[in-house]
Amino acid sequence: MSGEITADGRTFIHQHAAHCESGVASALFRNQGLDISETLVFGIGSGIFFGHLFFIKMVGLPITTFRAQPGAVFKKAGRRLGMKFVTRRFRSPQKGMDELRRLLREGKIVGLTTNIYWLSYFPDRFRFQFNGHNIIALREIEGGFRISDPILEYPVDCLTEDLERARFARGPLEPHGLMYYLESVPKNPDIRSACIDGIKDTCKMMLGIPLPIFGVRGIRFLARRIKNAPQKLGLSEACRHLANIVRMQEEIGTGGAGFRFMYAAFLQETAELFNSGEIAGLSQEMTAAGDLWREFAAVAARIIKKRGQSEDTFARVYEMLMDCASREETLFRKLKSAAGKLKS
Amino acid sequence: MKIKEVPQDITYYEGKKRACYALDDKGKYVLVPSSGWSTEEVVNGLAVAELAAKLEKTRQAVLQGLKSPLAYHMERRQMTPAILAKTAGICRFRVRRHFRPEVFVRLKESVLQRYAQALAITCQELKNVPGK
Repeated sequence: MSGEITADGRTFIHQHAAHCESGVASALFRNQGLDISETLVFGIGSGIFFGHLFFIKMVGLPITTFRAQPGAVFKKAGRRLGMKFVTRRFRSPQKGMDELRRLLREGKIVGLTTNIYWLSYFPDRFRFQFNGHNIIALREIEGGFRISDPILEYPVDCLTEDLERARFARGPLEPHGLMYYLESVPKNPDIRSACIDGIKDTCKMMLGIPLPIFGVRGIRFLARRIKNAPQKLGLSEACRHLANIVRMQEEIGTGGAGFRFMYAAFLQETAELFNSGEIAGLSQEMTAAGDLWREFAAVAARIIKKRGQSEDTFARVYEMLMDCASREETLFRKLKSAAGKLKS
Repeated sequence: MKIKEVPQDITYYEGKKRACYALDDKGKYVLVPSSGWSTEEVVNGLAVAELAAKLEKTRQAVLQGLKSPLAYHMERRQMTPAILAKTAGICRFRVRRHFRPEVFVRLKESVLQRYAQALAITCQELKNVPGK
């Protein structure tokens, strides 16, 4: 935690967060006087998800996502908490940067969606073309901007040209300089009913999407594809695919285990909010599911390192993923009925 | 995951720490900084090594005169022809054509300028590849 002064002289408290989007959203809310944790925002904004998008490829590998689409957390959480917020995209980079400067001079802090490759304050090995990283611009400084990146422990400086490139990067999921900031926050937002909305929405996404690649069915789908990968693609290619899944699960901003621990933390907070033993139990189950995901990652890494020489096999990985799927299926079913019983 | 299970394996993040949620002694979730996990090093290292190997291959191809330096600089920025085409504002099939060395050397200064701008390098850098 560290203090930082914005253009209008107020103090902004930078907090380290596990996920960029919920970190940015909760920091924006807190700056407006609503004391809310990152995990609560993550849960209310329905940040957890699963999808195996085998037809969209990044560097030749299919995308496995453990999160909802970029931008959803802030929007959903803001709406469910009754916030007034503005989101803007720009066609011209010049206008986008000018507007950012104007807002910062007014003393607002602004959330930005950026391409992580162009943010040179990250270590090189974490820079890759991904257009969904969220940061907060605090104020303008000479030659650049003061940035609060929730993934990092402390605020950093970013050069103007880097930030412009990052905001107006092209390619899949173009941000078009997307910026968002809060206009007003209600005095007493109804956090309880927002939690219920968030949970119900998440259950719907994990259980109810009628396509086999999303939610719990998506995990099973992925498990089957992994099992068949060595025969279908050859061992080294199968290892590449497996590595990519683990990378998406543990890579920047998931807080480990593909957000499962974050969601368990959210359920824990919800349980306290409602004084519900049932939700508290589900939080523990979620933790167990998260531990299993991490075990899966460890086993997968061993397979990749030993190139099939170890006793860990793709069949084992398949079993583990199927176990994850069935655990999460019962968990979200129970959660759905528990959320139905909660009263705001 | 308990606090003591939060991996502190390696200083893989170059001194930076990443936040993880873990359970404390009373079973309550708290935010714990992690300095890295060896599992992550394996999978991320694989991806980084793969990119580096591909880049080196392209560099050799450029030195042998099979590809233009544009191909190298595009890969160095981890771009695909589609992303480069959009960034530079040059049609995708033209970008692909410009990977041919004999086409690349005849490019006008204005086109080179656009590529250089898109790749955040100078025109001089764009015309060459690093020697090693």
